Amino acid sequence: MMNKIISLIKTDFNITFGLSSIIYSFKNKKNRWQMIILAIAMLSLIPSYFLIINSLNGMYDIYAEVGQKSMFLLSGFLVTQIMVFIFGLLYVMSKYYFSNDLATLVPLPIKSSYIIGSKFVTLMISEYLTSLPIILPFIIIYGVKGGEGLLYWIYSLLLVITAPIIPLVLSSIVIMVFMKYTNIGAKKDLIRVIGAVIFIIAMVYFQLKIQTIAGKAMMEGDFFVNLVKDSNLLVKKLGIIFPPSQWGALALSNYFNLTGLMNLLTFIVVGIISFMIMLFLSESLFFDGLIGNIEVSASKGKSRKKIALKDMTKETKPYIALAKKEIIMLFKTPVYLLNTVGGVVMLPIILLVASMTGGDESLVQIIDMLGGNNNLITLAGIAFIAALGILNSIGATSFSREGKCLWIQRTLPIKVEDQIIGRILSSLIVQILGVGALLISLSFIIKLDILSILLIVFLGLLGSIPMTQIGMIIDILRPLLDWDNPQKAMKQNLNVLISMGLGVLYLGGLIYLVINIMNKVDVNLIYGLLTVVFGLTSIILFVLLKKLIKTQFEVME
Amino acid sequence: MLRLENISKSYNKGAIKAVDNINLDIKKGEIFGFLGPNGAGKTTTIKMIVGLLKPDSGKVTVGTVDAWQEPIEAKSMISYVPDNPEIYDRLKGIEYLNFMGDMYGIPKEEREKKLNYYLELFSIKDAVGDLIASYSHGMKQKIVLTGALLSNPDLFILDEPMVGLDPKSAFNLKEIMRKMCDEGKTVFFSTHVLEVAEKLCDRIAIINKGKIVALGTMEELKAHAEEKQSLENIFLELTE
Repeated sequence: MMNKIISLIKTDFNITFGLSSIIYSFKNKKNRWQMIILAIAMLSLIPSYFLIINSLNGMYDIYAEVGQKSMFLLSGFLVTQIMVFIFGLLYVMSKYYFSNDLATLVPLPIKSSYIIGSKFVTLMISEYLTSLPIILPFIIIYGVKGGEGLLYWIYSLLLVITAPIIPLVLSSIVIMVFMKYTNIGAKKDLIRVIGAVIFIIAMVYFQLKIQTIAGKAMMEGDFFVNLVKDSNLLVKKLGIIFPPSQWGALALSNYFNLTGLMNLLTFIVVGIISFMIMLFLSESLFFDGLIGNIEVSASKGKSRKKIALKDMTKETKPYIALAKKEIIMLFKTPVYLLNTVGGVVMLPIILLVASMTGGDESLVQIIDMLGGNNNLITLAGIAFIAALGILNSIGATSFSREGKCLWIQRTLPIKVEDQIIGRILSSLIVQILGVGALLISLSFIIKLDILSILLIVFLGLLGSIPMTQIGMIIDILRPLLDWDNPQKAMKQNLNVLISMGLGVLYLGGLIYLVINIMNKVDVNLIYGLLTVVFGLTSIILFVLLKKLIKTQFEVME
Repeated sequence: MLRLENISKSYNKGAIKAVDNINLDIKKGEIFGFLGPNGAGKTTTIKMIVGLLKPDSGKVTVGTVDAWQEPIEAKSMISYVPDNPEIYDRLKGIEYLNFMGDMYGIPKEEREKKLNYYLELFSIKDAVGDLIASYSHGMKQKIVLTGALLSNPDLFILDEPMVGLDPKSAFNLKEIMRKMCDEGKTVFFSTHVLEVAEKLCDRIAIINKGKIVALGTMEELKAHAEEKQSLENIFLELTE
């Protein structure tokens, strides 16, 4: 039995972190460049990382001054474990349910808890990449500045190693339950996307709610008197958000006495027990969510009511047919639906939820500050929609999403113009949903007049065109075509990030310009100017795209 | 109908010559078989005809147009079926076929007529309302074939078309190819199955290591190879 588990873990390690595959991809020229670019991008983050660490230093001093040093540790554990949980949801979903090795593992005579257990261990390693950069600065700053003893560092080591267990167990269970109860019928893809959307919105809601509750808890009773008496008061009060983080913080801040030891033991033992519980649950949850997961139901011939071929053949213009095909693929592939349509619809709703719970009052405050100035709100709305144009990633994955099917369009007699228009149209159709979500969300907060609505619709959509084109330009220059899981085309596609960077530059420049001339010229002039700028860039980028697609379609191999 | 002039393609900066100075002239109404062992350059050659791979040098002419100068004109005459067709599996069969029809601009009536005929022939009519993801390998191939035949192409190019088809569909496909040639269309296909080539093709080319090593009718090939009566023997001798 032990042999099986060790062998499973070893194989999974090789697949996930295999040296041979890293070396192989480094030998490949294209990949090598990608890795170098990625490394440069990572390196460029280092200065801002040091800035953050610097401000953590200041945070420690503030807590130390009010005698609540342990609160500093709690922040570290909380942030780390929440991040592990959130990343865990994504990792667990792809690792447990959509990885390629499942087709090999499932037919083998092994229990599902073995599969889950081995995958869990590999995920733990991946999660250290998330957790270590966050938690280490907290622990090191606390330890060094407070001149803590040897036992502190031993405790730290144990806590750092075990910190990802509980949140990862939680995300594993959430995903397994979710997959089991959504694995029903032909519409399961849709059910899952809707479930995921609701889940994300609920998470935002609860997070904001907790903030308000915690805020209130602090102000209760003789708060300031107690603050002086109990140096762990803040941790005890705020730790209720996520008790394991509280245990971690208390273990470290009291390492010299029994409370510390008790908390350390609780932290580790609860971790191990929760892991066992997850393994136990996996026996009844895992396969139910997995089997039939990827299968697509086909109606078997006769039972289905027959629709005459005559009614199914429709003639459409090439660019409309292209847009239609894109839309069908976007809506029927869960990863695409969640990332493109989901994002566009969710962002406005999250903004609304955030401003309604009162947790994050920024939106209401901003609107108050604008003092009912409809023009400012309209301009902000236009900018928001245009930004969604790049955030929806439709342009930036336009060709990557074709994957191995790109041969179809390269061998068909399709005019480049139709290619571009069809793809832009598909992005605009999704954008219309975003406009709808934004207008409905806004209507809860303020009253917009018809003119503002029309302006947001028209200029927002017009502004989305160059945004989509920017994405398409990046994507046709370096399409990611070699994938067997659509997740790759979407989530592991650097083109999305690159075009977001460019889009932010373009839009940021425009916003800067508008803010600077806003008080000097008539607002209608600004709307006119935006129309011209959006229109002109659309045309220029269209001409550029035409050239690029034509040559790229020829030279691609 | 299809003319290749001094076509070459190499990989790794000239280190590997996949296709080495090939010349072919395929006439209207001809079924042309393209034979060769694995890695001989068959697929590379085909990809250069259909616009998937740009030749390092040489000229591809389809009808009267240069396929790489006026690609849209050339492509509207061609239909291409690759060896292992990857198609949009999130579309329904009928959605894919309509998409193909729209790209070639085929009017509704003609589209309907063609669909009725081919879907019936390949017996996949009942499946066109289902997602392509639910199809078996053979069904996928049949849907690709149907989509390719929809435009009634002047030049029909197939890469290993018989692999994965059931015997009845393979037979039907051969019939279709024959019939197309009777109508003056041209068929160009690669294959490993020598019997198919022997029975079906008007002319055959054998490619080995990127070069054409034999070209002609079955009789001509046999005449050159003394004592070797079957295509199999000729093939084995030439590609040693």
